[in-house]
This record gives sequence, structure tokens and C-alpha cells, in this order.
Amino acid sequence: MTSVHRRQLLQRAALGAFAYTVGGAQVLLSPREAHAQGLPLKVLSPDERVALEALGETLLPGAKDAGLAHYIDQQLSVDPSEALLLARALGVMPPYANFYRAGLAALDASSLKHHGAKFAALSPEKRSEFVEQFRQKLPEGWSGPPSPFFYFVSRGDAVDVFYGTVEGFERLGIPYMPHIIPIKRW
Amino acid sequence: MANEKVDVVIVGGGASGILLAAKLGQAGKKVVILEMGPPLGLDDLVSSQIWSRRLKWGGVPVVSEGKNPVAHNYQSGWGLGGAAMHQFANWPRFHAEDFRVKSQYGRGLDWPISYDEVRPYYDRIQKEVGLSGDHVAEVWRPAGDPYPMPPIKWFRQADLLAEGFKKVGMRIAPMPVAINSVPYNGRPACIYDGWCEAGCPTGALVNPQVTYLPVARKAGAEIRTDAYVTRVLMDAKGDRATGVEYYDKGKQRQVQLADVVVLSAFSASNPRILLNSSSDRHPKGLANSSGLVGQYVTAHITFSAFAMFEENTENHMGTSGAFGMSQDGYVKDSHPGFGSYTWTIGVAMKPNDVLGFANSRPQLFGNALHDFMKRASRGLARIGVQAEELPNAENRVVLSDRKDAYGFPLARVIHGLDENSMQLFNHIRSEGDRIVKATRAKETWTNPNPGLAHFLGGTVMGKSAKDSVADSYGRTHDVGNLFITGGGLFPTIAGVHPTFTLHALTLRTAEYMAKNWGGIAV
Repeated sequence: MTSVHRRQLLQRAALGAFAYTVGGAQVLLSPREAHAQGLPLKVLSPDERVALEALGETLLPGAKDAGLAHYIDQQLSVDPSEALLLARALGVMPPYANFYRAGLAALDASSLKHHGAKFAALSPEKRSEFVEQFRQKLPEGWSGPPSPFFYFVSRGDAVDVFYGTVEGFERLGIPYMPHIIPIKRW
Repeated sequence: MANEKVDVVIVGGGASGILLAAKLGQAGKKVVILEMGPPLGLDDLVSSQIWSRRLKWGGVPVVSEGKNPVAHNYQSGWGLGGAAMHQFANWPRFHAEDFRVKSQYGRGLDWPISYDEVRPYYDRIQKEVGLSGDHVAEVWRPAGDPYPMPPIKWFRQADLLAEGFKKVGMRIAPMPVAINSVPYNGRPACIYDGWCEAGCPTGALVNPQVTYLPVARKAGAEIRTDAYVTRVLMDAKGDRATGVEYYDKGKQRQVQLADVVVLSAFSASNPRILLNSSSDRHPKGLANSSGLVGQYVTAHITFSAFAMFEENTENHMGTSGAFGMSQDGYVKDSHPGFGSYTWTIGVAMKPNDVLGFANSRPQLFGNALHDFMKRASRGLARIGVQAEELPNAENRVVLSDRKDAYGFPLARVIHGLDENSMQLFNHIRSEGDRIVKATRAKETWTNPNPGLAHFLGGTVMGKSAKDSVADSYGRTHDVGNLFITGGGLFPTIAGVHPTFTLHALTLRTAEYMAKNWGGIAV
């Protein structure tokens, strides 16, 4: 890899791109690009992806296309000490995949119990109603991380991927103002 | 494998460890710093709240429990420079009464030193690293040299919030910050992009990498990163420390021998190392004849109030710290709930992350959240508080049943706010509500529940081994060549941010160690 190519790749890393495997090679893509290209997830199962994207869309419409599932999945595939997840900063015990799996399973189990269907199969109105319920207190049938905390983290993830990027700042009309785009040492 | 013996081994490459290494190195001592995290550099400080999480704890898990668990990971650091790499650089001083809470008020603990004894070190540190502020406007400030730089620039958010404080009759002043308002000592002035929490690579903000790390390196200090210290090692009699045991990046056990051992790791790690260093001679853990290793963990009680203005508050401009402050509530017994507190007036905000716009209204989701984000990006303003929690022996670090890969118990931090803390929080909340309602904002709201910031105590200093772990220099009472530096030494937390005081105390320790080396190392 030439030094120019490496600098470009690292600058993209600085601006919110992560390493995904495409055709056997590691390339830097934003989560949005990875989602648009339909890349398979490495860690989360298809059902978990469906639940996560449905939750993300309910919490912040547009989070799915912003690559929420690809962002989370990519972060779950790296060493916890390298992870950029909000869950890390909030003291969730690694491996973080356990937290997401347990939370998404609790979401679906509780949704089935209360509404007769998994979360993604509910109507948008029912999903919002259920989120409003579990963000405040533990619903019956929820056995996973405390639902208010799971709400807080999942919502934070959706906001990260939609608004926490250069594109996200542009949507809000805020200048990004990176002080220096540093080259990250691997 | 045993490494060649050095004068001092310092466990922890954060603010206090690096400062100590710089001063002892300059005094001719051979120093090794063992930092558990990676070799962070300025070019790792990516302008992104997402990437900023790399600066937060990434080591062996710390179990955090209790009614109000401390936010260990969020407060701690990871990598060379430690927590100071993501600090907000609010640097007010402790007040005189913060050092004598027990003797003056009959509550809490006393420090074994007074403000007057620490004052010269505050003055020297602020001259060495540079502070910006207004010592005249800061009417509550204890005696001390004027700040070397004028205050940092205020943006519209601060002006609008200041109106609220003035209308309710409260005095305000610029917040003293460890951020250059003008070029200082070869480091540039701040450009007010609000990325402080993501780490400042420009040199404007005082982080260890732009202040004392170059000094330490030039003085010959050796820094080893990815070095996980598990225990302090003792001589056969169990009287003196001989060095530390650590595991390197290749997971190989290493020993670093030293004449003096200094624990400068974070407030959960130092007690954990001491407790895990237990032996037949020290069955309760090292330096723990008092039984107090791990006890008196304290955190600042935090509160935020928000105002949504119809005009542009320029809230993306500024620093992660604060433009202004008020300490009209600092007198500890002048209001319901005992304790001091400092208002922070206006902070630069980003859309995401723990302190971003989105979390100012955590109950919003869906399209309502999108609508809010658009308004907040233009008109949101914030005031906050750092309030004093009294030391409580029930708030503590103990060893967990869970173990690391080498069989050592993890740290378990148990913390809860007591009735006094809640009374103080409720008083502050009421005051904050009045302040924001007194501004021009049409929409105001407050956080209903207290948060926590910082994480201090756990190895408190005091006059004797009966009531403390170490003396005022951080020298443990039980082991003459074993020191502790950093916030873990603080018996009380005061109503201000700790980093300036941490620096002042460490400088004092470095001077003491250099002057008294013969009596310490032998």
C-alpha cells in the first residue's frame, strides 16, 4: 500500500469509515455505504439484524439506511479495546455482542408476549407505542439488559450513525470543523 | 523476566504519572512508566465523538454497581495520557474550606494539608502549563497568582445564559480553563471547534502529551505501553516494595524492579492492585493496615438545565468545558443539602454522544427527535453543575468474584448517593430551573435525575495509618517506598473539577521525593 493511499484511507477513517471485507479484501466504507452495498454481517444473525434495524428506524427514521446494523456489527467484530461503541463508554461488560443479542432477544420476546408478534412485524404505530413503554420501565417478559438502558444505548447508536458523522452535521447545518484530520496510527 | 532495576517505576501513564516522571527525570532519576493502554499519539485524536470512545477505558472490565453506579469507563482514560486526554479542561482551584470539611463543619474528612500549603503548586503549575481566566472577576477564588492568559472567548450561548444568572441575582465569571486563549509557551491558541472531548491535538488544551510527556522523554523516562500491572512486589520480609509484576503485549509476565514504586493508575485500578498484592505479611492487601484501601470513593453530583432560544446560540463553537462559572453556592452550609457546587455556563455541544443534543431530551425518539435535533442545532444552550458528594465509606472499591485472564480478581465499584446528596441535587435543580427560566428562552427544562462525574478517592490521604492510606505526599503509611498519586488520594472532592488540584499535588510530591530521595529509596 503506498503512503498516499494509506493517508487517504486513514483520512476516510477519520471521517467515519470503517474496515469491511469486500471480495476478500479489506476496504474502508462508511456504514451507509456498507448497507447500500448489501454486505453480509459478520456477527449478528439475520433475525438480530431485522430486529436491530426495526428498532433503529423506530428510534430515528433513517438509521437503517445510515447503516446502523453494519456499524454495530463491524464494531462487535473488533477487539473490545478497539470498539467505538457508546456501550463501551457506558460500561457495558464486553463482549458487547452479548449485550446486543440479549437486548434484541428481550425486545422480540416481550413484543411477542404483549403484541403477538416480533418487534419488526409490528406496525410502526405499535412499535412506537412499545418503545414508549419499555423506555420507561421493564415490560413483562423482558429478560435482558434493563429496557430503559437498552433504549438509551440503542437510541444513542442510531443518533451516532445518523447525526454523528460529517453528513449528519451537514444535515443539521453545523460546520464539522475537524481541528486537524489526523492520521491514525494502526 | 526481570528488567534492569530503575529508580522509580510509575504505574499509569496519565496526568499525574507523566508529570511525576517529568520532574523526577529532570531530578536525575531513572524512571519507567508502565501504561496499560496503547501508545496513543496526537494523531490518534480524531475529530469525532464516536472515535473519542477510544480514549475511554478499554482495559480489564471494572464492575460498577450500586444505586448510582460511577461511570468508570466514561471517566477513565485508555492509552498514554490517560483521562486527561479527553478532559474538558475546567481548572478551578479547591477552596480553603475544601481541605478541612470535618474540622470546620463536623462532616466528611479533613485533608492532612491546607490550601496554603498547596497554593504555591497551583501557582507553579498554572505558569508552566498556562491557564486562561480572570482572577478579578472570579470573586470566590482563593488567593493565588493571576492567570497568565486572559479568558477564552465567549460565544452567543454564554451571553444568553449569563442573562439568566444576572436576573436571578447570581454573580458570574469566566471559567478558568487549561486552554490557551492566546499562544503560550510555544503552543497555539484555541480555535474553538468544540472537539475537546475527542482530544486536542493542536496543543491549545493542556493534555499530558503536549505538556509533560515531552519533558519526561527528554529527561530520559522510558515509557512502556500495553503493560498490564497486576501486583506490587515486596521483599522477603514484606517491608519494602521491590518493583511490580506486569504482563506485556505478548501476555508474557515481566518484572520491573525499582527502588520506589508509584501507583498512578485510575481510582479503581490503584486499590485493585493493592488488594491483589495481598500476602501472608499483608493479608488485607498492601498499604491497608487502616482497612481503608478502596473506601471513600466519591464522585461529583451533576445536573444540567437547558434552554432553547429562538436565535442562533452558536452552540457548535467553543470548548467542551465551560465559558463561565458561578460559585455563589459554594459555601457548604448556605443552602439545603450540604456541599459546595460550581455552575458551568455554556458548553460547545455536538449532536451525538453522552453530552450531545440528542441526550438533552432522552425521552424523544422517532420524527420528534429529528425535529428536536434541527431546533437544537441552532438554539440549544446548557448550564451544568459539579456538586460535592461527601465521602462515604460505603462507597468503595472491592475485589469482584470475576477474574481476569491471569486469575486476578477484577475491581468492583459500589456507589450510591445518600440523602444529603439528593437534598443538594434537588436544591440545585430548583436553582437551575429559575436560572434558565430567567433567560429569554421560551422553552426550558432540567434533568430530573442526578448524574455523576469524575471518580476520586479509594486511597485517601490523611495524617496516620489509622484513618488513611497515605500521607499528604501520597507516601503510603505502611510501605515507605510505595507512593500513590492522582485523584484516588482526595479525601474530599470539593465542588470543582479535580484536574488542577491533581497536578498541584503531584508537583508537590515530585519535589518531596526528589529532596528526600535518600530517606525514601533506601
